Amino acid sequence: MIEVEGLTKRYGDFTAVSQLSFTVRPGEVLGLVGPNGAGKTSTLRSVAGIIPPNGGSIRIAGIDLVADPVEAKRRLAFFPDEPRLFEYLTVSQHLAFVARIYGVTDHDELAAPLLEELELANKADALPGELSRGMKQKLAIACGLLHSPAVMFFDEPLTGLDPLGIRRMKDSILRRAREGCTIVLSSHLLHLLEEVCSHVLILKQGTKIADGTIAEVSAQFANGETDVSLEEIFMRATGGSES
Amino acid sequence: MIRALLYLRGYSLLNLLRTRAQRLRQPKYLLGLGAGILYFWFFFFRHLPGGAGLDRGSGVDPLQFIFAAFAVLGLIRIGSAWLAPTPRPSLDFSEAEIAFLFPAPATRRQLVHFKLVGTQITILLSALILTVLTQRGAALGGNAVTHAIGWWLMLSLAHLHNLGAAFTVARLVEGGMSRARRQLIVGGVIFAVIAGIAWGAWTSAPDATAWMSAWQEQNTGDRLGTAVLAAYVREVSGTGIIGWLLLPFRVALAPFFAPDVAAFLRALGPALLLLAAHYFWVMRNAVSFEEASIAAAEKRALLVAKLQAGQRPLSTGAPKPRKPPFPLRPGGGWPEIAFLWKNLLSTHPWLGPRALGPATLVTLALASLVSPRLWFIPIIAAVYFVLLGPQLARQDLRTDLVNADLLKSYPLPGWRIVLGQLLAPTAILSGLLWLALLALFVTSGRTNSAPAWLTVEFRLSGLVCLALLIPPVCLLQLLVPNAGAVLFPSWAMAGRQTRGGGGIEVMGQRLIFVAGQMLVLLAAVLPAGGFAVLAGFAASLAYSPAAAFLTGSAMFLLALAAEIAAGIYWLGHRFEQFDLSAESVK
Repeated sequence: MIEVEGLTKRYGDFTAVSQLSFTVRPGEVLGLVGPNGAGKTSTLRSVAGIIPPNGGSIRIAGIDLVADPVEAKRRLAFFPDEPRLFEYLTVSQHLAFVARIYGVTDHDELAAPLLEELELANKADALPGELSRGMKQKLAIACGLLHSPAVMFFDEPLTGLDPLGIRRMKDSILRRAREGCTIVLSSHLLHLLEEVCSHVLILKQGTKIADGTIAEVSAQFANGETDVSLEEIFMRATGGSES
Repeated sequence: MIRALLYLRGYSLLNLLRTRAQRLRQPKYLLGLGAGILYFWFFFFRHLPGGAGLDRGSGVDPLQFIFAAFAVLGLIRIGSAWLAPTPRPSLDFSEAEIAFLFPAPATRRQLVHFKLVGTQITILLSALILTVLTQRGAALGGNAVTHAIGWWLMLSLAHLHNLGAAFTVARLVEGGMSRARRQLIVGGVIFAVIAGIAWGAWTSAPDATAWMSAWQEQNTGDRLGTAVLAAYVREVSGTGIIGWLLLPFRVALAPFFAPDVAAFLRALGPALLLLAAHYFWVMRNAVSFEEASIAAAEKRALLVAKLQAGQRPLSTGAPKPRKPPFPLRPGGGWPEIAFLWKNLLSTHPWLGPRALGPATLVTLALASLVSPRLWFIPIIAAVYFVLLGPQLARQDLRTDLVNADLLKSYPLPGWRIVLGQLLAPTAILSGLLWLALLALFVTSGRTNSAPAWLTVEFRLSGLVCLALLIPPVCLLQLLVPNAGAVLFPSWAMAGRQTRGGGGIEVMGQRLIFVAGQMLVLLAAVLPAGGFAVLAGFAASLAYSPAAAFLTGSAMFLLALAAEIAAGIYWLGHRFEQFDLSAESVK
């Protein structure tokens, strides 16, 4: 479960996120959407404990992220838009490294099926330089899943993936949600979010425009119309511009 | 079209200068600019005419050797441009230039013109820098203006010649000439020229001994004979058939070496004619360069991406999987060990723990075999490792700064991440220093002229104490540049920028940074050293020099450990607050 209350993030004089509050429960997938510069990445990085917020409270699986960041981080995984990998570590060495960091003692039993599931088993001894963009993404996901996190944050998870990769990523996210994980993801691909997310949060200039299930948010901006797409909702909610 | 290209060039340059000027509003860049200007003034400009320059009188002029080396390199470059040219000639277009200009309605000649104009900016800047550099202590004659124009002519000719050679060879290949035939013809011409020079020197050069003796009678002070040799070469290269064979080179170099303005003006006309001839040659032979330019631009973009990602830019080919330095157990606490394991894995295996055994044996063998008079070599090596090691061993936060987001998502307090990151370079430098210390211990034991107080006990206690002190000293030294990387990430990242990111101000920032490192290190070592000296002195009065060594070292170790612990904890806290994206938006 993720509980965010009054989150504020500033860069100097510029306020990237202002007084943002939302809750995501286990099994829910929240889609974070907004125009460029709306504060999506700042929000994700703040709630994942990567950058310190300037105000507000964040609780991950019941643990206060600011007060006890180490325990909170044990329960979460953050997947950046660009897979960040170590150039000189092979696929299996990446998993060994992460296992030591998170203290995953049964690493051998977990790593093998994970690599099988993500179709990386035959690439165990390959370096990141030998992997395609999609495979790098999978390796980053394998590293993130190794410690069985209860909460997951995905920043633009579908960027750079081919149609097959997008399909598999969507299936993977939905499966984790069904297993009880709490998931937040940001993306500009609204039609794909519509298929994956149970909830949506629309941001503009760092403030919340709308928050709720897709049906609730649709109702808020549908003006009585039926079958309004998320894209249309997004345009109406944000006014179709960045500013 | 050419007006549009000039517009692009002009405004790109203007905007670059404007951006540089704007960022001077940030104190770090302004300070850097000040330091950079001071550096240039101190090392170069104050030696210009009117400043407190070096002695320009007779004697050994090192620039003659430098010029000779340049001349040889230039000849090799010209020869290789004909004998082993790049398979396809390319021009240095950026990816953006390719995207906009290649599909544009521009002729190939216009694109070549665009590139030539762009290259001129680089050449003019290079000529200016070389003029400043070669003003130091050069008894060349002429003045700064004639030298600057001379450099510009030489660099422009070299650039045009290489381009012309590449185009001509490509045209010959397109015309069906085989590689072997081309090399035979070009090699034959080069051989004929060399043979002609040799024949000319054999038949018409004046007797070297007599000529040099006569020259030395007129010109005194050339103790090592470099000036007389240079004068003899000048004399020979201007006579008979050699004079004709080397005429293009003489014409190209004459403006630079002109002793006065009148001679310079006389030399300028033929040199400009040679330049014009090269220009027409290039334009007449311009062949397809687009495909090779695209490939070259992609290669450059990859290099820039590698630099920005903190990867090794000069790595040849893809890295290969390596054997881990030691087995890493998944659990077991101490996650810092995982960072040590990862960072050792990223470096050469011969810097890892497995190499320590063989390296110790080799060191012992060498130290036992070489003359004991060479006892100072391990000390020189140790000083080198201490001073430069932390700058070279960068398998720590400095390299991993681009992965800061990933590191910060780990469930670890900041100090544990910092400690883990520092372990690999500390281990590497400690290993190297231990080897130097071992070598010093062995060689110092073999010398016959050792003072009486240098007993075996003293040397042994010294060996043990220094061996114990080495890791904390290395750790402390590494802490300083890593703190710099976290506190001033844009300074640390500046080295990764290649286009538009450099400049005098960034160079000045680095100078300030290194000076700061030295100061902080001194501030940390001095109190610890003070404790150590006092404790050691007291022990020497009560017991023996060996006991003084042990007591002093223990005190030094304790004080250093306290400083390091405080430093790591503080840096860890700063790392938790660290946000690279906040730095980049400023």
